[in-house]
Amino acid sequence: MFRRYWKGILLMMMSVLVLAACSDKQSSADNKGEQSDEKVVLTAWAWNVNVGALNEAMKEFQKDHPNIELKVEDIGRLDVYDKLSTGLAAGGTGLPDIVLVEDDRIHGYVNAFPKGFVNLSEKGFDQYASVFPQFKKDLTSVDGKFYAMPFDAGPTGMFYRTDLFEQAGVKAEEIETWDDFLTAAKKIKEATGSFAMPLDKFKDDPIFRMMLNQLGVYYFDKDGKIDLTNPKAIQAMDMLKKFDDAGLIKDVDGWNGVVSATVDGSVATIPFGAWYYGTIVDQAKDTNGKWGVFLLPAFEKGGNRAANLGGSSWMIPASSKHVDEAYKFLEFFSTTKDIQLMAMEKYGLFPSLSSAYDSDLFNNGVPFFGGQKIWELFANEMKDIPTAYYTNDYAIALDEAIKAQADVFNGKEPKKALEEAAKRLKDRTKREMNTY
Amino acid sequence: MKKIGLYVTLTVGALISLFPFYWAFIGATNESGKLFSKQLSFTPGTKLIENVINLNESIGISRVMFNSLFVSLTYTCVSLLVCTMAAYAFAKFEFKGRDTIFAIFLLSMMIPYHATVIPLFKMMAAFGWLNTYKALIFPNLAYPFAIFLMRQNMLAFPNALIEAARIDGAGEWRIFFRIVLPSMKPALAATAIFLFMYQWNSFLWPLIAVSSTDMYTFPVALSSLFGLSRIDYGQVMAGVTLATVPIIIFFLALQRHFISGMLGSAVK
Amino acid sequence: MRDLVLRLNLSFYLNANKKGRGRLRTKTVETNSVTTKVEGRTEMKKHVWKKKIVPYIFIAPSVILFSIFMLYPIGYSFVMSFQTSVGGEMTFNGLENYKRLFNDAIFLKALKNTFIILIIQVPLMLFLALILAVLLHSSLLKWKAAFRVSFFLPAVTSLVAYSIIFSIMLMNDGLINQLLEWLGIGAIPWLSHPFWAKASLILAMTWRWVGYNMVIYLAALQNISEDLYEAASIDGASKVRQFFSITIPQLKPVILFTAILSTIGTLQLFDEPYTLTKGGPSDETLTIGMYLYQTGFRYFDFGYASTIAYVIVVLIAILSFIQFKVSGDER
Repeated sequence: MFRRYWKGILLMMMSVLVLAACSDKQSSADNKGEQSDEKVVLTAWAWNVNVGALNEAMKEFQKDHPNIELKVEDIGRLDVYDKLSTGLAAGGTGLPDIVLVEDDRIHGYVNAFPKGFVNLSEKGFDQYASVFPQFKKDLTSVDGKFYAMPFDAGPTGMFYRTDLFEQAGVKAEEIETWDDFLTAAKKIKEATGSFAMPLDKFKDDPIFRMMLNQLGVYYFDKDGKIDLTNPKAIQAMDMLKKFDDAGLIKDVDGWNGVVSATVDGSVATIPFGAWYYGTIVDQAKDTNGKWGVFLLPAFEKGGNRAANLGGSSWMIPASSKHVDEAYKFLEFFSTTKDIQLMAMEKYGLFPSLSSAYDSDLFNNGVPFFGGQKIWELFANEMKDIPTAYYTNDYAIALDEAIKAQADVFNGKEPKKALEEAAKRLKDRTKREMNTY
Repeated sequence: MKKIGLYVTLTVGALISLFPFYWAFIGATNESGKLFSKQLSFTPGTKLIENVINLNESIGISRVMFNSLFVSLTYTCVSLLVCTMAAYAFAKFEFKGRDTIFAIFLLSMMIPYHATVIPLFKMMAAFGWLNTYKALIFPNLAYPFAIFLMRQNMLAFPNALIEAARIDGAGEWRIFFRIVLPSMKPALAATAIFLFMYQWNSFLWPLIAVSSTDMYTFPVALSSLFGLSRIDYGQVMAGVTLATVPIIIFFLALQRHFISGMLGSAVK
Repeated sequence: MRDLVLRLNLSFYLNANKKGRGRLRTKTVETNSVTTKVEGRTEMKKHVWKKKIVPYIFIAPSVILFSIFMLYPIGYSFVMSFQTSVGGEMTFNGLENYKRLFNDAIFLKALKNTFIILIIQVPLMLFLALILAVLLHSSLLKWKAAFRVSFFLPAVTSLVAYSIIFSIMLMNDGLINQLLEWLGIGAIPWLSHPFWAKASLILAMTWRWVGYNMVIYLAALQNISEDLYEAASIDGASKVRQFFSITIPQLKPVILFTAILSTIGTLQLFDEPYTLTKGGPSDETLTIGMYLYQTGFRYFDFGYASTIAYVIVVLIAILSFIQFKVSGDER
């Protein structure tokens, strides 16, 4: 029986181990492509659909640069950050040549690891400043220098169910302000039972952030001072409270909860970035043709309706051994109109490259959305999006803002909740706080 | 009457334990959005094959399965031997430094793994072991939990038997392998299961230590299915179901050792 | 490898011993009378030396592996716990990190949460596991294997699946609330209320780990002689009485073992709060393990994170020590 061949099996295992270990070493050495100077293999870390976009772009790039190859590792989004942080903290080892980072984390990374990433301005990226919207430029630069190449953006919109709106007799075109939407939402709730918006009330604050953005404020102001007590921030929180008091916000659990509410129609509208299109189309296949998009309602008639949520950019870790090649490839990827259109069309990644908007793709109607030209809507929004100042303390600020929101939903007055959050944030980050 | 009560309680408990797994299976047989819709029925859907095929495209099931199996099995065998040997020494011998060394092992269990990830990573990079099986198997071979568990069980083994064997002229290895171990089958089986399980479900370290998709183990591969918005839950659930099968098999194979392995038989 | 070498060495000794005093005898013949004494002494020495060295050989692989792969990381993070990042470089910060920790409101809250969960979840889970093990050990039961697998399965289900499924089930209009409504009890805000969020964690953890501990107890139950139970039955003791007077005392070392293990696991708790509740609402389910992760990997404050890690170690050590003393275990 097993027991008798104990030692034999063990010996076998150990020898296999040694063999396997030896053979890995060899294959990983191969991957590094250190043998010849000519061939260069770039490694990239990205998640999900971005992987496909990179691979396709590389095929194009290779036509002019046959000696450069790409190996993309498909890693879960949150996992990329764990690996990136570990590699940087370990002094810059085990890192790829190219990494995708969401915009709200760029400043955090560059500040925590000042020597960790390549300064792209020094490589000449400044020449492209004009082809990207201002807010994207601000997000990808630290102290005026580019550290990331803008990729996709998340211009916001209210994704709504046209059939539910019809049932309640509400016309999306007539909604101009949040107060308008409040009234409409009440009607919809009565007629269809569906809530106005989904929100993980106690664990995430995307709606608050979108509102802040459209109002031209954020957790911090452009000097990095804590701005949570700004009257506009209070205005946004007040509005959220109004919706909650009217019973219009559906409390859902995390991302899964939002998707669930989208699929089963228990919410009539979902405010999110353009990238949410992918989720709706993937998960709510039964509702094909029953969707539309309108811009975020303004706070006052004629006020700003443009905001951004999400979006990511490409960075090059300084530990890369092929910085020039990586730069060339990413430069190609980020600034070539056709590549960006490909990413959009095939993978739903909304480009930041302004020149991309002038194309058929953006001028056509989308069947899933009843033929509405949703991409045109999002594209037109881009130039008006204010910059959100994340700073390197974004993670801590997010934590405190969510707590403030939770306090508000639990009955605290918005002004007080935000003041307390600002104070806590001040203690944790040692930043100055704006007082009004 | 009592017996029926017993069976009912156990069955209810078993159902509660099984339910989430069953739901995952249902999810694996349906297309993505269905997991969330209210009309999700409790009978399996028809998309299992499709989901598995898609999953294979996304992560390469056979490679991932091989990685997980190879790493987990090798780890379990080697670690079991190493830890049982140490446990034997701690339980049955008196030697200088015994309690100190054991205490150090115990203390190391108390350190949260997030704290040691970065230095361990640095070390693996220095050895050149990043992205190899070695990096996955070696770090935790001396698994204090296993040493602790085996020691606990070995304490109960009668010293008289060992002494008797020594007097008879048997060497230490022989005593260890032929006398002590065979009567520790339940404990060995339990420890083997835990070692296998630990390595099979290990996520953070394999995530950090390995960067190429072809070296992924199951947990890491499954996690890679979670991009920002386009998640195929059907695939995820198919992956989850597949990932659980080997470990169930391993468990079933070993758990029969939990039958009475009476100490008495050794005396005879 | 090492194993082989060791084994070869020892079989040499084995053979030497087996042949009786053969080898040594030849020695005596060659030298003179004085050597008889020497022979006796050398053989005694050899025997004694061998006995002394044997345990060290047995623990050698573990100690070597441990020293290489654990000591460096442990030492490194210990040093880091006294450092802080200044402009991207780690610099010595004395006891500042530790001082900061004791005034850190969030850490203190996480500590409180972790303790609350610990005090409720561990005894609950261990007790359930014990009962299950006893039930499944009883020879009266059929389909033992099936039951065992069922209860063990949760421990083996991947974290990913487990968290998605639980979060879907615990949604406000999820399956569990639907069931509760049907029973007339009314929906519970499982994941958004401070109290219920903790309850959700405790439920999820218990569900997940009961089977694991049950397996440990099952293995240990094999070591209890049937005779004890037989004698007790003859004396007229009920099954319940037997459970409390025989089973539990016999299992004391193992129970202590699982208690310490569970304490360690709960004090380090990360997976469940991270995937189920994200530490919310408002940090009500933030555990010290999760705070450690956030501090290091989200706020990039690695020095401080190491400090948290070491404070956790101290806490665990204290609690374990207390548990050892309380149960009177001979270490």
